[in-house]
Amino acid sequence: MKNNKGYHIIILFCLCFLAVANVNAQSDWQVPAEENEKLSPFLFDDDMVLEGRVAYENLCTSCHGTPGQDDFTPMSPPPGDPAGEQFQVQSDGSMFYKIKMGRGTMPKFEDAFEDDELWNIVAYIRSFNEDYKQELPNMEGVVIPEYAMSLSFDENVDKLVVKVFAEELPQPEVSVSAYVMGTFGKHLLGKAQTNELGIAYVDVDPTLPGDEEGKVNVMVKATKEFARAKIEKHMVMAKPTERHSAIEGRHIWSTDRMAPIWLKITFFVSVFGVWFALLFIVFGLRNIKKAREEA
Amino acid sequence: MNETIAKGHFSEEQIDKDLLKNVNWGGKFKLWMGFLTVSLIICLYYYYQQLQNGLGVTGLHDYVSWGIYISNFVFFVATSLIGMLVSSVLGMMKVEWVRPVARIAELVALAFAMVAGLIIITDMGRPDRLLNVFIHGRVQSPIVWDIAVVVTYVVISGLLLYIPMLPDIALCRDKLNNVPKWQQKMYKSLSLGWNNTAKQFRLMNRYTRMLLILIIPIALSIHTVTSWLFAMTLRSGWDSPIFGPYFVSGAFVAGCAAVIIAMFFFRNNYKLKEYITADHFDRMGKLLVLVALVYVYFNINEIIVPGYKANTADAKHVHEMLYGHDSVMFWLVQLGGLVIPFLLILFKPMRKPLPLTIIAVVILAGAWFKRVLIVVPTQLAPYYPIQNVPEGWTGYSPTTPEVAITVASFILVVMIITVLAKLFPVVPIWEVKEDMNHKNNK
Repeated sequence: MKNNKGYHIIILFCLCFLAVANVNAQSDWQVPAEENEKLSPFLFDDDMVLEGRVAYENLCTSCHGTPGQDDFTPMSPPPGDPAGEQFQVQSDGSMFYKIKMGRGTMPKFEDAFEDDELWNIVAYIRSFNEDYKQELPNMEGVVIPEYAMSLSFDENVDKLVVKVFAEELPQPEVSVSAYVMGTFGKHLLGKAQTNELGIAYVDVDPTLPGDEEGKVNVMVKATKEFARAKIEKHMVMAKPTERHSAIEGRHIWSTDRMAPIWLKITFFVSVFGVWFALLFIVFGLRNIKKAREEA
Repeated sequence: MNETIAKGHFSEEQIDKDLLKNVNWGGKFKLWMGFLTVSLIICLYYYYQQLQNGLGVTGLHDYVSWGIYISNFVFFVATSLIGMLVSSVLGMMKVEWVRPVARIAELVALAFAMVAGLIIITDMGRPDRLLNVFIHGRVQSPIVWDIAVVVTYVVISGLLLYIPMLPDIALCRDKLNNVPKWQQKMYKSLSLGWNNTAKQFRLMNRYTRMLLILIIPIALSIHTVTSWLFAMTLRSGWDSPIFGPYFVSGAFVAGCAAVIIAMFFFRNNYKLKEYITADHFDRMGKLLVLVALVYVYFNINEIIVPGYKANTADAKHVHEMLYGHDSVMFWLVQLGGLVIPFLLILFKPMRKPLPLTIIAVVILAGAWFKRVLIVVPTQLAPYYPIQNVPEGWTGYSPTTPEVAITVASFILVVMIITVLAKLFPVVPIWEVKEDMNHKNNK
């Protein structure tokens, strides 16, 4: 018994140590000064918050819980609630860096998200802080080009052709990412950079399922430094989907009218056959009556 | 040598007298019918309650929506199959000894089959919607098949009771002068002017033979389809390819037991010891051993094949039966209601009328609870866990109205048999006579 008590104390001590160590670990996460001061080139508007929310709910909720609810997963070190003070005292750049690079059990999202998508998440986290005032970079003297895009599909090589212009001039070295929009999210088609003619090519899988006409809703984003643009277009570039009703044809699970022929024949032939025989016997009873006068 | 029929050499007059004397409305009958009627009215009061308040008065709920009503339905359909085995299979194989008890088997079959259809209606919260099955029923649904075969089986059983009885109805018409007028009229019209001519016998034998052949596939399909009501669903414990033969073999056990009980009752109350002899009981006991063996064989298959597997839903179901939640009832039914009784009947003294009848009662009760074990536990083990529902929904126990309505179905069966056995002779008189003449001429 006494021995047991000793164990308990040791375990308790270890747990305390771990807890303290975790708090230390959390506060010890040093972000390079340059990254810490980095500012979002985008104004955190409702659109960004909404997009950030979708990304957060897909990839962050499982550990961090719903912001403001303190329902994060009990882990060591604790992931914490992004709406909490520990998160909100940090700079935008620090949050951006930590999401992008990850550390320990916090995964690195560098490959999963583009920079603008990471900023969406920061915008979403900030939306829980009423006192937050976004600090914008000094844009004096910086000219942000306004991009226009045109999309087309080259069916000979199965490529999506994205042309980026600004005031009718082709824009080289613009990062382009193309997505197919679905009902519940978007599917990344690919990423590319524009060439000197302002054209980027993105591969399209020819087996991609589209609607009945082979149409998909394509969304393309173009970003370069502070400039960004977005375009959505329904394009015929995927495999047409032939839609079949689940009860099309004759099946056991169909309506009565569409019952399998073999079943209808079996059922009705058996039932009518038996009842025919029974009626034959019932009417035959008259013959018994007639036969009473036999010589 | 056939020892079973009329050991003493009775004259035809004596046979007529012995077998017709029960066709009357005696005081004992009136007392018995009065008792049944009062009991039925009490039970029907509970059905009135159910009609008014819906199935809420029963113990049924979202998980166990088939309780003792459906178990009882399966039991009734099962018991009614015996008519086919005795009068058709044994009758066509010219097994002579079954002739005096064939009509009793047919009575039991008809009564149970008639009430089986009614039990389905008691399981409906809105019986007025029964018509929808006929209007909107899908030919793919086993329920539609079930209704088709149950109705057909009732009609065939009725005809199979009626047509071979024609000579006896004629006898009633000719000999029974002291019965009420309506009854005399009924015999007159039902006997179809039966005059014992050779042609009439020929026609009767022809139609009877047709019915005896027809009833075999119909009887097999009535209980196979009843088993398919369960087996066609993807549920552990029901989803079994041997459910059809498993049900049919179980049906013969229940039916044999019911016929033995009815035989004992008629033998003692109608003083028919010379016609339904101890030898009949001995042979029925042997028949019961045979069908019980087949049923035990199917039970072993039904348990050991899924139970052998480690962790499937079917294995869990079997383990619940063997040593889990339902184990007490399971072992009572399997050992007490099937294995021990059939081992006992292997010994000749146990096949004497009284011990055999007692054993038959135990087997019949076991057969009823066996149906509950087939119907209920499966529904309490759905693939999704039972959660966020009222606490009572994790189990099932029938309520008073449910039990009363079930009792009502038994009362109805007994009433039907009682009335029919008072209107017509329960032992086929002309066949007994024919048999005797046949023997005397040898």
